[in-house]
Amino acid sequence: MNAKFADYATPDILVDTDWLLANLDTPGIRIIESNEDLLLYDVSHIPGAVHIDWRRDLNDQTTRDYVGPEGFAEICRRHGITPDTTVIFYGDKSNWWACYAFWVFQLFGHTKAKVLDGGRDKWEEEGKTLTRTVPTYPASDYPVPALRDDAAHRAYFQQTLAHYQAGKKLVDVRSPKEYSGETTHMPEYPQEGVLRGGHIPGAKSCPWARAANADKTFKTRAELDALYGGELGLKTDDDIIAYCRIGERSSHTWFVLKYLLGYIHVRNYDGSWTEWGNMVRTPIERTA
Amino acid sequence: MSYPTALTDIIELFEFLPESERRENLINYSDAAAACVRKEGDTFDLEDVRKDEECSDTVGVYLNIDAEGKAHFAVELGPKVQTLTKAMTAILCRGLDGSTPEEIMAVPADFVPRIIGAELVRLRSQTVYYVLSRMKAAVKMWLNQRRAAE
Repeated sequence: MNAKFADYATPDILVDTDWLLANLDTPGIRIIESNEDLLLYDVSHIPGAVHIDWRRDLNDQTTRDYVGPEGFAEICRRHGITPDTTVIFYGDKSNWWACYAFWVFQLFGHTKAKVLDGGRDKWEEEGKTLTRTVPTYPASDYPVPALRDDAAHRAYFQQTLAHYQAGKKLVDVRSPKEYSGETTHMPEYPQEGVLRGGHIPGAKSCPWARAANADKTFKTRAELDALYGGELGLKTDDDIIAYCRIGERSSHTWFVLKYLLGYIHVRNYDGSWTEWGNMVRTPIERTA
Repeated sequence: MSYPTALTDIIELFEFLPESERRENLINYSDAAAACVRKEGDTFDLEDVRKDEECSDTVGVYLNIDAEGKAHFAVELGPKVQTLTKAMTAILCRGLDGSTPEEIMAVPADFVPRIIGAELVRLRSQTVYYVLSRMKAAVKMWLNQRRAAE
């Protein structure tokens, strides 16, 4: 195991690029690419990897919500995933969407899941093999999960409102200008329909990127402890909600807090700023 | 509004393709973006190289207006540019080549969904309009310079 991983609260939640290269053909694993770039998987991907599109596959196509248990089982069946398959997520943008897909898998209790440290960027940077060949796997008979367990991992608007009113911990992982209210979207992205800028009152700013190195890998346990435990003052048993704009960057932070640092009660508010900033008469704090 | 002939041909190629073939063709065009760069010895009337908030990397647009008043573009993309942006770059370099500046300025953006498809023109895909806006901006700058010189 990569020596860095041993210090994390859940050391085996990550794999590194060398391990993955050596285990491309290992039975019982399924590599899953999940990206922001809509066509990147089609351009190339890690050999054997399947593609899960966060919009088309994980989101309900009508209601702003995720697929239900039937839909989740269908995704797994299509990719030959069984409850015993270890799924390994990776993707572009420092694993934003890989962590998001990982998080959705946790809603359905698929705990045999890992993330590739450094994601697609590191794999490419190291010149490791990529292919355009789309693999096919025999369909599985993945059983329909009994429920989607949102309560453990996901916060809704009303819960987040109550959380703020109770003075509990909120971590805003967006860029500083989004937090201050100067902008309503991150740098390099078009405006995406939020009517008010700012942050949830009381939320502390800690942009997701502070948890990542330049090569897109996660920072060490000591660095992450200093950031979230030290600077933000979070404690292991705090009730914590992370949010961003639509829930993908906060999935990254949720992953860090829960699996790398071992915080017990962490939820991702996926409605995030596109919900909060558009909701009539919702309290907002601005510093811009 | 009619589109330049070359662009019309591309729109008609894409418009009724099944999703899988549309994606495959977009990937082919994205591969072709590498050939849109400046060639040795090329000269340009206008060069506009910048990194905008709307795009994830630097985009350089190079415009040449030939003796017959026809526009020719070269476009250079930074490595972080998304695949759809690369595809639109190759489509537009081919589709607008040989048009007049006035024709380019009159091209509406409504052809983009006909090429990309409704599936891909969704949240976060406004990037597909970016290169067209940059090419039009270059043409507009050239027109303004010409007007100022007259």
